[in-house]
Amino acid sequence: MLGIEDAEHEETAPSAPTLLVSKLACSLVGRTQTIKIIPGSLVHRAYGREEVTEQFACSYGLNPRFRGKVEKGQLKITGVDLDGEVRVVEVSDHPFYVATLFLPQISSDPESPHPLIVAYLRAALAFRTSGKGKQRN
Amino acid sequence: MNQQVKVGVIGDYDPNLHYHIATDEALGHAATALSVSMTSSWIPTQSLAKGSVGTTLKPFHALWCAPGSPYKSMDGALQAIQFAREQGWPFMGT
Repeated sequence: MLGIEDAEHEETAPSAPTLLVSKLACSLVGRTQTIKIIPGSLVHRAYGREEVTEQFACSYGLNPRFRGKVEKGQLKITGVDLDGEVRVVEVSDHPFYVATLFLPQISSDPESPHPLIVAYLRAALAFRTSGKGKQRN
Repeated sequence: MNQQVKVGVIGDYDPNLHYHIATDEALGHAATALSVSMTSSWIPTQSLAKGSVGTTLKPFHALWCAPGSPYKSMDGALQAIQFAREQGWPFMGT
């Protein structure tokens, strides 16, 4: 989507020349981080706040080398950690398109469903109601 | 009465991965909070071949790309992500 035809992932192609997704300087497996949410974003509307705490289980992320290219494209960086590293991206011209490096699902429980997943399901419900899925069948 | 919402979870389900189990559970929590009937179905990445990806994914009202790389078919996962972005399907990638 960024016009990088040979984009690769360091986990599956460690010696590829264009590693869009690379190993993090410090693995986030089992870690919790404070995430700054950019005001006005979709995730900001979902959380209703500008700082959240989330849990991780990954060791790979956006290669900082490509950050500038991402920022110029369709993806918007809407969540960063306290060092400014990318943790959430979204597509603004889309009903709901959010990708996170953390795992919202592991901090959800029946008494406090995760706000991002509630917002996602609300978008699914709107999509169902609008009949968009049907039209395209 | 609310209509049923169908969520397609793209990934190679492994019952030993707690975050796979948590994905279905968290969707259930959100559905209860919204008082909607919801089903989540896992879609193996190897079933998402170029050409048929639209047919496979169109019955769903939202798509979620599950954690747990490497996928059995990275290409299948990328096809689904591209479909959601280009065709306007609600999407979450975690």
